[in-house]
Amino acid sequence: MRRIAVYGKGGIGKSTISANLSAAFAKSGRSVLQIGCDPKHDSTRFLLHGLRLTTVLDYMRVTKPLDYKLDDILARGYLGIGCVEAGGPKPGVGCAGRGIISTFELLDQFKLKDNYDITIYDVLGDVVCGGFAVPIRREYADTILIVTSGEFMALYAANNILRGIRNYDGSEKRVAGIVYNQRNVEGEDERVERFAKAVDLPIFAKVPRSDAFTRAEHDNMTAMEQGTSPAICSIFTEMAATLQGDCPLYEAKPLTDEELEQTVLGTNIQSQRAANDEMGEATVISKAAVPEEVDVANPNRYLSKNMVRSEPRHGCAFNGAMSSAVHIKDAVILAHSPKSCAYITYQSVSSTGRRKLFERGALLPVALSPNIDCTEMGQPEIVFGGMEKLESKVRLIKQQRPKAIVIVSACPAGIIGDDIDRMKELSEPGMPIVPIKADGNMSGDFQQGLFLSYLSLARNLIRKDVDEVPGTVNIVAEKALVTNAQQNYELMSGFLDRMGVKVNCRFIYDTTTEALQNFCTAELNLPAYSDYTAKTLRRFFEDEYGSKFYDRGFPIGYDETCTWLREIGDYFGKPDVAEQIIDDNKQSYQQAVEELKPILSGKKLMVITFNSGLDWILKTALDIGMKIVKIGALDYSQDEGFRSRLGVDLPVELEYNPANRDSDLKKYKPDVLLANYSSSVSNGVPVSDTIPMCPDVGFESGLVLARRWARLIQMSAKGEWEQDEHLFEKYYA
Amino acid sequence: MNTFLKNITPDSLSGIIFALEGVKRSLVILNGPTGCKFYNAATSDSQVIRQREFDPLNFPPVWYFGQPRVPCTYLDNADYVYGSEEKLTEVLEYMRDNVSFDVVAIVNSPGASLIGDDIRGIAESVLGKGKPLVTLETPGFSSDVCHGHETACLELLKQVPPKTGQSVIPKTVNILGLSLFQKNYMGDVLEIKRLMELCGIEVNCFLCGSGSMDEVSKIPSAALNVVIHPEYGMQTADYLERTYGTPYYVCPGPPIGYKATEKMMLDLCNALGCNSAAFLEDSERKRARSYVFVSRVNSFTGMPKAVPYSIEGTCSELYAYIGFLTGYFGMVPVCASVLSEQSSVFHDKLVEMLGNLGFPHALERDILDTKADLVFGSGNTIAALKLKGMRFSGIETSLPTIGYYNVVPKTYLGTNGALLLTELVLNGLMY
Repeated sequence: MRRIAVYGKGGIGKSTISANLSAAFAKSGRSVLQIGCDPKHDSTRFLLHGLRLTTVLDYMRVTKPLDYKLDDILARGYLGIGCVEAGGPKPGVGCAGRGIISTFELLDQFKLKDNYDITIYDVLGDVVCGGFAVPIRREYADTILIVTSGEFMALYAANNILRGIRNYDGSEKRVAGIVYNQRNVEGEDERVERFAKAVDLPIFAKVPRSDAFTRAEHDNMTAMEQGTSPAICSIFTEMAATLQGDCPLYEAKPLTDEELEQTVLGTNIQSQRAANDEMGEATVISKAAVPEEVDVANPNRYLSKNMVRSEPRHGCAFNGAMSSAVHIKDAVILAHSPKSCAYITYQSVSSTGRRKLFERGALLPVALSPNIDCTEMGQPEIVFGGMEKLESKVRLIKQQRPKAIVIVSACPAGIIGDDIDRMKELSEPGMPIVPIKADGNMSGDFQQGLFLSYLSLARNLIRKDVDEVPGTVNIVAEKALVTNAQQNYELMSGFLDRMGVKVNCRFIYDTTTEALQNFCTAELNLPAYSDYTAKTLRRFFEDEYGSKFYDRGFPIGYDETCTWLREIGDYFGKPDVAEQIIDDNKQSYQQAVEELKPILSGKKLMVITFNSGLDWILKTALDIGMKIVKIGALDYSQDEGFRSRLGVDLPVELEYNPANRDSDLKKYKPDVLLANYSSSVSNGVPVSDTIPMCPDVGFESGLVLARRWARLIQMSAKGEWEQDEHLFEKYYA
Repeated sequence: MNTFLKNITPDSLSGIIFALEGVKRSLVILNGPTGCKFYNAATSDSQVIRQREFDPLNFPPVWYFGQPRVPCTYLDNADYVYGSEEKLTEVLEYMRDNVSFDVVAIVNSPGASLIGDDIRGIAESVLGKGKPLVTLETPGFSSDVCHGHETACLELLKQVPPKTGQSVIPKTVNILGLSLFQKNYMGDVLEIKRLMELCGIEVNCFLCGSGSMDEVSKIPSAALNVVIHPEYGMQTADYLERTYGTPYYVCPGPPIGYKATEKMMLDLCNALGCNSAAFLEDSERKRARSYVFVSRVNSFTGMPKAVPYSIEGTCSELYAYIGFLTGYFGMVPVCASVLSEQSSVFHDKLVEMLGNLGFPHALERDILDTKADLVFGSGNTIAALKLKGMRFSGIETSLPTIGYYNVVPKTYLGTNGALLLTELVLNGLMY
């Protein structure tokens, strides 16, 4: 199996050489894949007899991730050669280099290259940015051919490619040599020979200028297929044979610009030039990273709801990953980003801490003092790449001896193609380094960032070789940014404690590296929610760790809490303790319901909500005797649908159109309108109240709200402040 | 575990957005992903309240994502590859047809700036040429918030240039260097205006500090430009002098405390030929009220003299605060932590002042490791110190806040600010 990257200046004939080489390999009986990495997407055209492919980038633009099919982007050409075109933007707009990165990410998901003996990457021009360097990275190409003529710009591009290779490989040997594509300009042979000698590379093949190419391409095929020129065919046959054999490979030894000019202009320089240290300028890590054992970024497996539906990305994966990873208290979370990205995350993480301190004097360690650091990418890193700065920051952080370092990349790092995976090589025993390639929002929205973080941290930290400890649980999928996460946890862990059950690890909230490593010691996993995130995590842990999960999220409201306690009590052999806890709360709930009935019974309740489950409110409302006239379920970026276990018919309208709000209020004339945000449109409704997105857990959740409605209904005054709206409009709006 | 990221402030992207949001009836569109939008939009919304409720259903168009400010093009992978023209055109067409505004600003996020779209050309093709339009293609990666503010002010003046040759109106000033990122933004505007009015000085334009485009258009007619926060306004003042010949006055740090405010107002009155009598009486009355409270506390505690305090801020803010807190109250600055270090205007003056006061090491200490009775800083710093178990009183001087709603507009500037700081200091003393 050989993977060959064919590089060279635009228009130098790379595609012709690549296609004929593919044809030669195929003729020798090999299965061949050719991937065109050029926005003009014509690399495989003559292998396909003129057929133009749907490019990968065009395809990704219009297709939802779950609908991706390999056959939509892969065509079979001459002798079954697999043909793929990356494509890219029209000239002058967008970022073609980023396009190459996106293409390779998709092809990785299909594990396409594993199905072929030979893969040929036909790559545009010189190495102008990180994106075009992708095929050079070790996991893609093991052999590099550099196509050039004897013209100065072609040689300049060839030298630049050698610089790119040097940056990734150091002194590793991957270059097979120079493919000299003759243009018949004066002094060409000598210039190419001098260049080859100076960079210490053989001329792998010399392809003469020939009408055979023109004739074949006129007939929409390769010269190899047409076969009218035995001389040309033998060149490609020989190239293929050499590459299939024990082909020697060489180190990249690029020239300085001055050396190049001297060489091209004919000034003698020494043939065995010592490796120029200066040219190895960006070689911060001695070797390219080993391929990921597991593709954590594979979005076909664990996708956010936003990504599944191809909706506008709500928030960014960078922020999601940072906000989650920061809950490993003894790790440092390093943002490979401009300062603004780290600052914005810092604010979202610390906002819950500040609020809890202000409201209740509570001190939440993670939220008030998150271990966040940042590479503060500036203009130099954006233009020249940020790996050096990243490495020096990682080395600096290592001096603080954290238990782990988690690196999260933002958009600019992703666009310029910084390969943060290479930082894993700086891991050491007791201090793993976990890269999370969020690339800002390029890998997805906030929720996708949570998934990336969960999966990367699990796969890099959790040990499977630990013994299970009976009577222990993990808490899974607590929400990092909600203000009641800790108080909910304390209530639930209090219940568990009474049953003699200990919490092993909170995945991932206010935890440690060691607790994560020992995740698998827990007997059972308890999801904090029953939402999309929790379900996805459950699927992940069941699939990859064989973990056992309890079905329900933390209980909200009386009924759910009773059920949760009974089932958990039964599981751990403590039904009596569970019943005792329920008895402690039963009487007060029933008494409160009876007290509320005279005020609320028969009242009409309408709900407009982003919450995907509201049994805790609805059950209490039904217990009290209220009539539920309408539930408008709004589209929420992190969950979908509306779920109920009440077993009664509910008037639910999914994907509720907010434009219908006014007419529904007139139609149903509710006594109580509930929504996540109170709005002045509810002015005509006797009582309007808000629903928390993430309510408090436990017996009292529904009652707390119902008591408020009762107070509001009993009270004749609505609050005079509501009448001053016009004054606000007059003076401030 | 240490706190790794210290004294973090937003960078230039936020500075640009906040400056342009500081123009009355502006429409600031972020050409970027939503991750860059939410914080900036929320901060603008909380600093300048322009709508009555949070209901996201009131902002249904997709570009708002439920927030009333800073619509964005929600760029994703495909846009980074193919360019943002399609989405930018879409949002501009909607805004052109449905939203009333006096100026459109389009700000590239860091990622968007790498794809090199011609955002001005795209905007002009939708809005037509000649419409007030400001485009910022590069958000200034990791440079500080002050730099972003100045960049936006300068681009506003260059891309929507006020006419030259306007007659200068005596006793008028433009106020430069106020940003909605400053904690008491609206209160500061009101106090500056009040002080000027006491001296018969009219504020011609609060540039990117609540002023309208109409005010911006007549910016050359002011007799003097006044730079309140030097880090946020020196370059703009310099540009206005070179372009329109308007001289400028740089406050010796923002006017915090009686002495600094009196110096600023007397300097301005001298420069503009105005009468300072009403202002001086106002200052005297407030000094008198401060005096009696400080005197009474001092008489039974000996404080606030020699009370150790820590403070964070830009160099000019530190210069001004320390001038007041040490000069007026006699308190001891044990730590002075510099925010937005890249904007080092006033750094030398600050060093010199601390040396003269006998506290040259205050700049070297880490605010999170320094014991002090009073801490003047952001909500984050105050909260982090509480977490460390430190005993102190925290006085918020910069964003983010802990969460207190300031219904009454407050300011630390001017004589009203001096009075409020006196109140906060006395209530924060521990005895």
